[in-house]
Amino acid sequence: MPGLMLAFKPIMSRARQSGSSTVWALLLFSTLVLFGATLYAIFVLAPVEQQMGIAQKIFYFHVPSAYAMYIGFGTSAVGSLLYLIKRDAKWDAVGVAGAEVGFLFWLIVILTGPLWARKAWGVWWTWDPRLTTTLLAGMIFAAYLALRSMGEAGEVEKRFAAGLAIFGLIDLPLIHYSVQRWRGVHPTVITGKGGGLESEMYVALGLSFVAFTGLAILLLWARITVERQRARTAHLRFELMHQ
Amino acid sequence: MRAPVIAFATAMAILSPPLVNAQAPDEPAATTESATDDPADERAAQFVGVTGAETERIPGGTLMLAAYAIVWILLFGYLFRMRMMQRQTADELRRLGAEIKAPGGS
Repeated sequence: MPGLMLAFKPIMSRARQSGSSTVWALLLFSTLVLFGATLYAIFVLAPVEQQMGIAQKIFYFHVPSAYAMYIGFGTSAVGSLLYLIKRDAKWDAVGVAGAEVGFLFWLIVILTGPLWARKAWGVWWTWDPRLTTTLLAGMIFAAYLALRSMGEAGEVEKRFAAGLAIFGLIDLPLIHYSVQRWRGVHPTVITGKGGGLESEMYVALGLSFVAFTGLAILLLWARITVERQRARTAHLRFELMHQ
Repeated sequence: MRAPVIAFATAMAILSPPLVNAQAPDEPAATTESATDDPADERAAQFVGVTGAETERIPGGTLMLAAYAIVWILLFGYLFRMRMMQRQTADELRRLGAEIKAPGGS
């Protein structure tokens, strides 16, 4: 059957595939080097904070993880929106990959934050606006992933999940601006005014931000590839069953 | 006529305990004042020496190690999950391909 044979045709041509492999390898190598440099900057260059002690070093992975979470959830919302407009399976794959990668970084944020808070605030959790809105974002995308993990998603499930991801996008600016608009206890050391960190601390944090960006892109790339492969397999299985 | 009387009696019952209590601390208050003439002495007396090994009440090092361990465990766990997913899909694609190429397949 020509349709089935066509489905086996790789998405990218061989030349494009080898080009992508080179970019992939370069990105992977740069990210690994950056992670090495980040760890050096965190544990050797950056000083120990006066009040919080060594527990403050959690901050160098916690904040960039939150930023990577924004990348993941944002990608999911954009992919979902494009899927709803164009009904193209590749955008659905982008939506799923973004939600999953964003959720991974959300887990890192929500688990490392309390470990820092225990030392800084004396409590594991408090209903601060930023913490609450972050929890809400996680719950929205957990619902998205739960919906998509119930067997093979049909068109209705895909559209409903896409709607959830777009709804989740509304929460992201709320997380970001909650510390400025509402009273809370969450620190705001990274502001436009500056002066919140020592210069070595900025170096460590800056490197970590770049490393986490590379990591988020790599994970998204890999997950999108897997999701598209899964979609092709599901399509083939469907065609084989109904031929 | 009876209602205002009951209301007055209830209000007195509610209000009376604080009034009694408010009068009571007069005598002990004078005693406390005489014991702490200088507030600075009071604050200095609050320092308490550590008994046994000197340790932080909330161990920052342990919390930091736990946080970094969580990051790496989650990250490698996710990579492992993705690898498994990729392997499963590749196996299924191969199986379906063989099914199509087999005689009687499409």
